[in-house]
Amino acid sequence: MKILLVEDNERMSQFVIKGLQEAGHITDHAANGRDGMFLAASEPYDVIIMDRMLPGGIDGLAIIEVLRKAGTLTPILILSALAEVDDRIRGLRSGGDDYLTKPFAFGELLARLDALHRRSQGVNREAPLIVGNLQLDPLTRKVWRGDRQISLQPREFKLLEYLMRHADQVVTRTMLLENVWDYHFDPQTNVVDVHISKLRQKIDAEFERPLLRTVRNAGYMVTARD
Amino acid sequence: MMRSSALSLALGYIALGMMALVLFAAPLWYAWHVTIQDGRSEILQADAQRLADIYRRDGGDGLKSFIDTRVHMQIANDRILLLTDSSLHPLAGNLPAWPRQLLAMPGNYRIKVDVGEHGGQQSLVHVARLGQYFLLVGRDNKLFAPLERRFWYGLSAAVAVLSIAGLLVGLITRRAFMLRIHSIRQTVSAIIHGDLKHRLPTHLSGDELNTLARTINGMLDQIELLVHGVRNVSNSIAHDLRTPLAELRSRLEELAFMRPAPERTFAEIDAAVADVDRVIHIFDALLRLAEIDAGMRRSGFVPLDLAELAATAVEFYAPAAELKHIELRFHAEGPLPAAGDPILLAQALSNLIDNALKYAPEQGVVDVAVRRRADGAAEIAVSDNGPGIADSEKSKVLERFHRGDASRGTPGVGLGLSLVQAIAKLHGSTLELSDRSPGLIVVIVLPVGERRAEPRGAEGSAEAPPAPLPATGSAAAR
Repeated sequence: MKILLVEDNERMSQFVIKGLQEAGHITDHAANGRDGMFLAASEPYDVIIMDRMLPGGIDGLAIIEVLRKAGTLTPILILSALAEVDDRIRGLRSGGDDYLTKPFAFGELLARLDALHRRSQGVNREAPLIVGNLQLDPLTRKVWRGDRQISLQPREFKLLEYLMRHADQVVTRTMLLENVWDYHFDPQTNVVDVHISKLRQKIDAEFERPLLRTVRNAGYMVTARD
Repeated sequence: MMRSSALSLALGYIALGMMALVLFAAPLWYAWHVTIQDGRSEILQADAQRLADIYRRDGGDGLKSFIDTRVHMQIANDRILLLTDSSLHPLAGNLPAWPRQLLAMPGNYRIKVDVGEHGGQQSLVHVARLGQYFLLVGRDNKLFAPLERRFWYGLSAAVAVLSIAGLLVGLITRRAFMLRIHSIRQTVSAIIHGDLKHRLPTHLSGDELNTLARTINGMLDQIELLVHGVRNVSNSIAHDLRTPLAELRSRLEELAFMRPAPERTFAEIDAAVADVDRVIHIFDALLRLAEIDAGMRRSGFVPLDLAELAATAVEFYAPAAELKHIELRFHAEGPLPAAGDPILLAQALSNLIDNALKYAPEQGVVDVAVRRRADGAAEIAVSDNGPGIADSEKSKVLERFHRGDASRGTPGVGLGLSLVQAIAKLHGSTLELSDRSPGLIVVIVLPVGERRAEPRGAEGSAEAPPAPLPATGSAAAR
């Protein structure tokens, strides 16, 4: 992925750039709003990471609004120290696609960037999802593992669908909470893990090759790769 | 500034009084004056008539001797009398000569006459022709002078009284003003010095100063609430963030000092990250509490279905309950529309169910019920059959960072219930804790439908006793 990072804090920038590089992404960095706007408008990026509070009192949201008005469709992830619910809503309303508050776990950022990128590639929402021999049909709402049909509760189906739409990508607990349950808070207990292990019981238990894997310190991934 | 406004108020009073006095006195003066004038000319005419009668009866000489006698005997020496021949030579009377400026024509005139002691006075005179004689009859104003003087004295006295009264009223008003301003100033300076408990004195009357004081008090209430929130947050931060930060610090310090094997180092780093996450979580919870306390989230109120919100929460916790072999039951009687913030209400429900599952024993029961009360309000009740909370502890558990005895050894930061309480308060409700014996029942009551919840004032609706949970019937979420 080619990523633009608009962030004025130097240490934070270095940390993000290094992390993205290790994950195999190319990153351009703009330390202020003007450069960021210029780069975003002139270069093709897969994802833009936009800090909210930029030097000179510029709000990243203003830049996003300008970019959106100018017709830029690149998915934008807003990075902000403003954690209030209203800030988040305002961020998404201005044209941002996702909102991550500082401080954050790097895995969370990476997972969200992947998700944004995939979403922007215009997938067919109705096509069946296939990972290895696991198949999920969003239209008939049926799930098959090999030649055996698996019956899932509605929420379990939604959980699996989200995981499979992001197959081969790490999906964090927060992403699951937000997208499967629409919960925008941290319930603190390991409830998501319990849901995952229940789902795992149904799709993986009797098969040799597990597809739903736990990624340490990050989240979960549905993948058929080794 | 107060001084000048009180003074101008007093001057205004006085000016107003003067104006009223003039408006009142001027017509009176005019009427009085006209009446006296008329009276005078009538008297003069009567005098002249009498003298004319004497002339007609006794002839010119008779009149002359009558006048002479009267002047000589000094009868009615406030009168002016003069009898002249046709060429205006004085024949009798107390005037030495015909006044120079006076025409010898019958009629009433107002002239200045020099008569002995009261010379040089304006007098009303009457001129009459009797045969070849001219008769001049007049009276000086001496008779009416005291009356006039009295009128003017009266008027001056009224002016004086009015001025003094005006000044007094001004001073009293000013004093009353200054007293209230002074008390306001004292209160405000107490507030400036940090005591936000003070409020401006108000009375039952609805005057402007009182209205202002009430408005200012309202403002102070809100400021106190906000400051209290901020103070709470900073106290809590100081109190509760220090502990994990201290742990983190010593963990890192030990790591730098001990330099253990790589595997242990990585484990320690993971633990350090977990410590930081804990700090961040507390921080977030505190910020959210402050945000809710400040009432800023009311903008997020939308119509929602409480039953659906609760069903989602129950379903969310169902696997966790199963794991602990707790029966998590859900009771709802169909959709239950209410107005609220869906994110916060979901969090409140989640916190309550999480708590209930934490305290319910293995094989225990947790009930979540949403229902419409008789008064139309929506009610959420979450109960468990755990140890419950002693009455003496009930108010304490709502305090921030308080952790009941039963919670020792369980994970949590002690903000859960205070967060739920803050959310309930934002929705115009209070949190009610009651006994299920054994166990705890927590109830939140939400105002009905589209009506906007008020953070204060609507609390009365929550004062009704909590209704017991329905014993049976359920739309199981599982």
